[in-house]
Amino acid sequence: MASACWRPALTAITLLTALYACAPQAPVFHASGSPVRLSEWNLFVLSADSLAPAPAAMVFAPTNQLFTDYAQKLRTLWLPPATAANWLDGEIDYPVGTILTKTFYYPVDGEGTALQTAPQSQSLLDLRSNQLVETRLLVRREQGWDAFPYVWNDEETEAFLRVAGSSKLIDLKSDAGSRRFSYFVPNENQCAACHVTEHPDGELQPLAAIARQLGSSFDADADPALTQIEELQRRGWLSAAANSTPDSTLDSTLDSKPDAVSSSPAISWLDPSATTAERARAYLNVHCGHCHNPQGAADTSALLLDGSNTAPINLGVCKPPVAAGGGAGERLFAIVPGAPERSILLYRMESSEPDEMMPELGRTLVHAEGVALISQWIAELPGSCSTDGITQ
Amino acid sequence: MRGHLLKLLTAVTSVILLQNCSEPEAPLPQLSFEETLQLQLIEAEPGAVITIPAGTHALTRSLSLNVPGVTIRGMGMDSSILSFKNQIQGAEGLLVSANDFTIEDLAIEDTIGDALKINDSTNVTIRRVRTEWTGGALTSNGAYGIYPVQSRNVLIDGAVAIGASDAGIYVGQSTQIIVRNSRAELNVAGIEIENSTFADVHDNIATNNTGGILVFDLPNLPVQGGRNTRVFNNQIINNNTANFAPEGNIVGTVPAGTGMMILANDNIEVFGNSFTDNNSANVLIVSYHITGLPIDDANYDPFPESIFIHDNQFSGGGTAPDSEPLALLQAATQQPIPDIVWDGTVAPDKQAADILCLRNNGEQTFANLDASNAFAAPSFDSSPHDCALPNLSVISLSSAQ
Repeated sequence: MASACWRPALTAITLLTALYACAPQAPVFHASGSPVRLSEWNLFVLSADSLAPAPAAMVFAPTNQLFTDYAQKLRTLWLPPATAANWLDGEIDYPVGTILTKTFYYPVDGEGTALQTAPQSQSLLDLRSNQLVETRLLVRREQGWDAFPYVWNDEETEAFLRVAGSSKLIDLKSDAGSRRFSYFVPNENQCAACHVTEHPDGELQPLAAIARQLGSSFDADADPALTQIEELQRRGWLSAAANSTPDSTLDSTLDSKPDAVSSSPAISWLDPSATTAERARAYLNVHCGHCHNPQGAADTSALLLDGSNTAPINLGVCKPPVAAGGGAGERLFAIVPGAPERSILLYRMESSEPDEMMPELGRTLVHAEGVALISQWIAELPGSCSTDGITQ
Repeated sequence: MRGHLLKLLTAVTSVILLQNCSEPEAPLPQLSFEETLQLQLIEAEPGAVITIPAGTHALTRSLSLNVPGVTIRGMGMDSSILSFKNQIQGAEGLLVSANDFTIEDLAIEDTIGDALKINDSTNVTIRRVRTEWTGGALTSNGAYGIYPVQSRNVLIDGAVAIGASDAGIYVGQSTQIIVRNSRAELNVAGIEIENSTFADVHDNIATNNTGGILVFDLPNLPVQGGRNTRVFNNQIINNNTANFAPEGNIVGTVPAGTGMMILANDNIEVFGNSFTDNNSANVLIVSYHITGLPIDDANYDPFPESIFIHDNQFSGGGTAPDSEPLALLQAATQQPIPDIVWDGTVAPDKQAADILCLRNNGEQTFANLDASNAFAAPSFDSSPHDCALPNLSVISLSSAQ
């Protein structure tokens, strides 16, 4: 009698455990409000020694990612059940309820010191060998995308919304030794500084989960031919028919064709088969183009690095500074062909002074690999600058 | 028995809940003054007034505002001080991109970069705000103090700007501008109106800068064709501070001792000002060619035009020119540099009187440097400029009533 009574009770307990345990059943889309705790979104399965994306989410990686002080990034994309994205003017138009996440972390050694490593593609983070820093959300709501920066506590038991941003001292170890720096979590306005590419009245937009950034393999080991776009389609998250006609309304009077404004896959700045110029433009596009575009916050400088304008003067060739202040580094032109050491563009990439460095946001450290690429590109550019104008 | 089981079930469930989900909740982080202020700026609703209490508030990161219709109000420019002496992030002190913005009665000190930058905003009022680098004129100071750019309907009233390594009060690529009742001191450029249209700059004091008041038009910018600026009733005194701009910046070419400089701008009316002891020249009018920089911009007009300078007072100045052609002129004449110096470059189809008219400036002295002929034959004859131009219209902003 007793055992007969116990069995349904145990079943009920099991069910309740499944319902109430913290392992999320599915991510939760909050149509309004600003949840204070990251866990309220159910986007991750967190245990004492691991962080895993919710099973329903897709892990993805853009072709070109912004340098953020050598932090590693784990990105996920989730669409509510029975919804799908459509194509709109050659771009992916995500449905209301879509949630993008980006978790910043550093691999750590046995003593817990952060390590500078090549970009990784982990989708399950072992918290014994990784340190969580922050998780940023982009949430597609009725009125548009909203940004939420969450910062992990030291215990890695929760991340809290920090609308006003935050900072954290990090010791980063590389082959060259260890250095301590302030890692900055952006505030919501700073999120917009990059994600609103049409200043000031544009809308917040994703920069990684976009058509041209998703051309690489979803799983390079299992099926290298399957792109992330195709994986979205395979999941039924994206309609099949790409409206693939690129926006050709930009009237370029230049010899070379603008290379940014289309949904064709981006060239990776790390691609060894691409030319130096292609790699440099890809790098500048992703690191500078969100502000340095004809509608961007940095259009005041007329330095346009989003690929929409390839006139040498707008790329910075023999272009005097406008309001660079000390950021000009006592150099005369943004780019002096053949002379990276006399080019302001490189000076600003090599600087870590907040008022001089570029990009203004997203880094405290210098991106040595990016500097090397842009330096090589400038060194290979033909011509020179003189007071009479550009000499070819 | 059944009731007993239910109790047990509830208890077990509670334990599970406690252990898995309701672990003692991690405590919420505490917010500092600067985080609280930034949070207010982000969460403000249009119409909000955000107050800065009296005191010196230390900030380490840039502040920013994107919400329209917000007022930031302190208790006075010597009472409510936002100090960025320990700033470690951000290229500005406060970055605003928001229409219908008012900031008043506070100070922004010692920012790493620009102090107050306002980008792409309409209806901007900056009243009794002080921006200052407290260590004096240092090249390492930020570039701009008060810095509206690509904005419309800008009122700067009763401001104080000290120590900028470019311009103390700089209005760029903007239109419908009033800068008045303000003081610019110890900057490279005291007050600068650049690539802008329809500005009134009046009743200001520009002193101890490298150059007092500059009106510039530069090439290769999305907004150019600078014109229609009135500069009147200002006191432009003793602007002799050695140029401390970082090299490579256009303002680095301004000679120390410049009272006022007009570069490539059109339709400028300068009247009722008092120019005193500016030791390169009280007024310089030059084309962009004087910079020696290349021009790669087919739409750019490098020549100033329709400059009308009348009813000003000149006193002293020109005794220690900080410019090679001016120094040569002084050596040749053994006289102070004249009050009004024009580089003498004229667009191909223009006459001297199309460029510059001079009237009723007391005992003004004048020089044409003949820069287009390598300074070969400077002239001191102002008679080709004895002409008048129509008065420019008054700038009227509702915020300035």
